[in-house]
Amino acid sequence: MARKQFSYQSLLLPIWVSMAYLFLYLPLFVLIAFSFNKVEFPYRWVGFSWRWYQELFASTEIWQAAWNSLLVGSCAVILSLVIGLLFVMWNAQRKSDYLLTYFYPNLIVPEIVFTVGLLSFFVFFNVPLGLLTLIVGHTLLGLGYTIPILHARFSTLDRNIIEASLDLGATYRQTFYKVVLPILMPALVAAGLLVFILSLDDFLIAFFCAGASAQTLPLFIFSMIRTGVSPVVNALATVMLSISGILVIAFCSLRVRARVW
Amino acid sequence: MKTKKAFAQKENSFFWGVVALVWQALFFYLPLSFLLTTSFVKYLSSTGVSYFSFDYYLYLFQPVYGFIFMRSLLAASCTVFVTLSIAYPVAYYLALKVSDRWKNTLFALLILPFWTNFLLLVYSWYFLLENDGLVNMIFLKLGLISSPLHLMNTTGAIYFGMFYCYLPFMLLPLYSSLEKLDPRLLEASADLGASFWQTLRNIIIPLTTSGIKTGALLVFVPAFGEFVIPALLGGDRTMYVGSVITHYFLTVRNVPLGSAFTCISALVLVVFVTVIFKVFRFVFGRDSYGS
Repeated sequence: MARKQFSYQSLLLPIWVSMAYLFLYLPLFVLIAFSFNKVEFPYRWVGFSWRWYQELFASTEIWQAAWNSLLVGSCAVILSLVIGLLFVMWNAQRKSDYLLTYFYPNLIVPEIVFTVGLLSFFVFFNVPLGLLTLIVGHTLLGLGYTIPILHARFSTLDRNIIEASLDLGATYRQTFYKVVLPILMPALVAAGLLVFILSLDDFLIAFFCAGASAQTLPLFIFSMIRTGVSPVVNALATVMLSISGILVIAFCSLRVRARVW
Repeated sequence: MKTKKAFAQKENSFFWGVVALVWQALFFYLPLSFLLTTSFVKYLSSTGVSYFSFDYYLYLFQPVYGFIFMRSLLAASCTVFVTLSIAYPVAYYLALKVSDRWKNTLFALLILPFWTNFLLLVYSWYFLLENDGLVNMIFLKLGLISSPLHLMNTTGAIYFGMFYCYLPFMLLPLYSSLEKLDPRLLEASADLGASFWQTLRNIIIPLTTSGIKTGALLVFVPAFGEFVIPALLGGDRTMYVGSVITHYFLTVRNVPLGSAFTCISALVLVVFVTVIFKVFRFVFGRDSYGS
């Protein structure tokens, strides 16, 4: 009886899983395929061409947006890692961990709520909106992820190793750079990658807090696709998907169990 | 512990550790309390006086806004339900049934959409749903319809876009909680004569409640405030909570009213989620035998 049900199960489950993967990937494949299409409308396949890629790489607007995104992403990564690491190390020598809960709302409060809060805050104090305000917002988002990840790694750190290092005559600075930092490195890289991806992906904070002057990649994509289909966006999507693919492989080979989800 | 203390004392790390707290207070808690305050302050430009009032909240006490909340709650609930139904078997299969060789590849394939720009995920549905898109093409070829269906800018398009974009948010937490499940428990359950469904109901689901909760929250919270998908796939025709907030802050620039609406929607969200969790706990019994 039980055997029969398990064999039924063993057939049904792989089908369901392949359907789910198909659901996830079919739209992406179509998206990529149309970046190589010769003509723009209608969406029929005519022939292969690199035309949209040439247009993509010729556009200065996209390069500017990509540069802004990279700049904001890198700054947010560095800031949230440095601030997060300092906090986690400070927190480790305190008696309780309750201060960690202070950062949980970054993940729980809907992004749109704290984004409009940030916007009205900036507007009230006459802070000019731009890349700087965007970096502030993304660092905030990043702290919500870096602190739990770094804390998880830091709390598994064997204190005896630090003690040994200090006993053997290393200075505090040497101990930090040669012992603590290498142990934390996988967590730092994983958290950094995650923040970078989040920053690159973020549309809401950019839409509200970047102002009119600063254009990031998601803002550019939004303004392009709002009016309809443009194969240049498909070419851009293909390029971005390839970059994400490389980052995913890098992330998976790190084998860090991020405790965020 | 002692070393840690010595290590820290030397480095004067109190000051630097506090930076994160200051940052959080200044750019997270202060703006949020600011939002709350703004929603209660009425400014009269004629006299130049500001005073405390409930006017913005009273203004929002209209059926129209009630419908908007209901619409967003419904959309977010459906998204949670559908993504959970799709994702649970997938996560189960990946965590417990696949050999290690394939596991990493399949897992990487799950993260890829999660790490792809959200807007591009939405955009990819244009090619399926437009009048000349893939769905209509296939249906026409199969002879199911004679003329192209109008699929873009409909509620259906919004829902499908939501299911698609939020599926990875559900998959990852489910996977990581199912992966921690000890396969020996399932064997023991089968040995003791339980059917698959009994094992699922009594062992697997109770032990993965935390994953289900995390996934449901990760999907529900952003889906409730979603504004991009209704704007792009719904053609801005129907208003959702996110669209209203954007409208007040960016289009008409009525910050106090927008703040009041944002505060109410946050309240609606918290109340709804709390009630749902309470109801589920009541219906399915206490979920503490897992932990």
